[in-house]
Amino acid sequence: MRTIARRALTCAALAAAVLLCACSEKEDDGRLKIGYVVNYMSHEWYQNICRAAEARAAELDVDIVIADANLDIAAQVSKAENLIAQGVDVLVLTPVDAKALGPVVAEAKRHGIHVFTESNPVAGSLSYVGIDNKAAGRKAGLWYGAYAREQGIDSRILIIGVPNFEDCRLRVEGFKAGLAESGIDYGIVQEVDGQGLKERALKVAQDALTANPDVNVIFGINDDSTTGGMAAYRAAGLDEDALVAIGFGFEGTVGRTALLGDTSYRAALGMFPEFVGVSLVEAAVAVAGGQTLPEHYETPTVMITRDNFEQFYRPEGDDYALYLDAVRALMP
Amino acid sequence: MKRILSRLVQAEQAGLGLALFLLCAVLATLSPVFLTTGNITNILRDASLVAIAGIGMVVIILQGEIDLSVGSVQAVVGILAVTVLNASGSILLALGSALLLGVLVGLTNGLLVTRAGINSLIATLGMMAILRGVAMVSTGAVSIQAKVPGFVEIGTGYLGPLPVPLVLAAGLFGAVYFVLHHTPFGRYVYAVGGNREAAELAGLPVIRIKIFVFMLGSALAALSAFVLASRLNSGQPNAGLGFELQVIAAVVLGGVSLTGGVGTLVGALLGILILTVLNNGLVLLNVSSFYHDIARGIVIIIAVYMDTRRRRSLSRRPGG
Repeated sequence: MRTIARRALTCAALAAAVLLCACSEKEDDGRLKIGYVVNYMSHEWYQNICRAAEARAAELDVDIVIADANLDIAAQVSKAENLIAQGVDVLVLTPVDAKALGPVVAEAKRHGIHVFTESNPVAGSLSYVGIDNKAAGRKAGLWYGAYAREQGIDSRILIIGVPNFEDCRLRVEGFKAGLAESGIDYGIVQEVDGQGLKERALKVAQDALTANPDVNVIFGINDDSTTGGMAAYRAAGLDEDALVAIGFGFEGTVGRTALLGDTSYRAALGMFPEFVGVSLVEAAVAVAGGQTLPEHYETPTVMITRDNFEQFYRPEGDDYALYLDAVRALMP
Repeated sequence: MKRILSRLVQAEQAGLGLALFLLCAVLATLSPVFLTTGNITNILRDASLVAIAGIGMVVIILQGEIDLSVGSVQAVVGILAVTVLNASGSILLALGSALLLGVLVGLTNGLLVTRAGINSLIATLGMMAILRGVAMVSTGAVSIQAKVPGFVEIGTGYLGPLPVPLVLAAGLFGAVYFVLHHTPFGRYVYAVGGNREAAELAGLPVIRIKIFVFMLGSALAALSAFVLASRLNSGQPNAGLGFELQVIAAVVLGGVSLTGGVGTLVGALLGILILTVLNNGLVLLNVSSFYHDIARGIVIIIAVYMDTRRRRSLSRRPGG
């Protein structure tokens, strides 16, 4: 008896699945359909991009399907292929590995699909949307240079980076270029690998501060790196009033809490993931409408401090929302 | 005195102890700050977090089993603890919820392995993925800040001159050492791991022992998660990424055999210290992070080689 019931259930489930597939295939109603394979949805940065992209798609009355590669290049390729098979009009990829995506980009083009990427360029795609990491790092360096001169700081700098990732290396390179350009006297006492995680940043910063207790500036390549470094500074019993911590990304609650709280987190380079998400959809609509995208569809960055925070963010519920127009005004 | 000394030298872990000593000697020569109180405190605090979870891992591996879910436990338990903490304002309640979740995870692991008959590598691999997913889903991948003052003291505070996590780890080490070496339960653990069939024939409640061991392991992993959350003053959905391998590597480096039944807590502790000292030293010496993995690999191989050589020479000696 139980086996019969079980078989009946299985059949019903199968039938439902077949029906669902049939329905979804019939869905094509002439609306623009965007497919987006994000590389790592588990990060707050990409969460914010995706949320903003979905909201903008709804406003513009287009469909967007988002899939997560979860840092797995094979998964990214197969999910992109699924989206191609589903007949999307525009395919957007945040590459897990830019070099491995050539074939899938070519396949999409064979199907007449427009392809562009987010954050890194891929050969064969139309454009990439995202910030200029090096120029952004330079802004942070220049900002700090001016701040240090104004405050008369003898700068001993600890950099918490992620040397495995090119984007993160470029941020550090840009930061150093900005520092040099600012003309201040400074010493970079150490560069450590915090893997972009607060837990890891705390540990390596703690050891680096033991070796160099004279550090008074911390630059992290994302908010978790910087706040991890700040926690190590506190744990080492060093004078936090003398510390200047500079964040990068300002991607969500971590950065906002640190900047608005009474901490040594003095400034961050704002990368505005919400604006990147909006730009992805706008670029897709533009390219589908026959417009040509620039090779690099650059989204703006700006140094955010307590002084200009309110220019970009307004309180909303327990959190803050971005003034998209304030960011749009920064577009070249 | 002489007897104690000779026992120490003959102890199974003398090779590892020597490796640790040499590593410290080299680092002390190269870095002027290595031997400062502040640095040693840092090393011991870092090692304590691995040790708290590692003690549980030793007992699990002694059973011939493995637990890959301890890394994800760091995330899920940290998130739960901080959520409960913020809602209730009570550190004790947060600790209670953390341990309870740990015990439940361990119970599930134990049941999957013993009752459902799933290999522990697979069962806990699945659990690792599920728990990491739960951590991401429940937070939307955003960390949760702890809002109760005093919470941060557990991970960063001191009892006298000693960091709180070190005191916790030392207490647990003592307790589990006593249980393993001076109680019938400890002998059962070694017996089940050494030869399961013989243990069953001898009438030992093998299944119940295994389930209990998984519960103990996860509860200890949960405790280390609680301390980590306190140290970061937040629940992090990406906490403990790769932590399971760090713990397993240290324990195995300490001479605990993956096939079960062989290994000691002291050895595991030495393994943990070697890897922690190495990580600390490489940063002190400002070595590029690209070389860290290479150095770690080399040290693991040398330490285990020294240990195996010692054991071999001991077993060759008549009556040794």
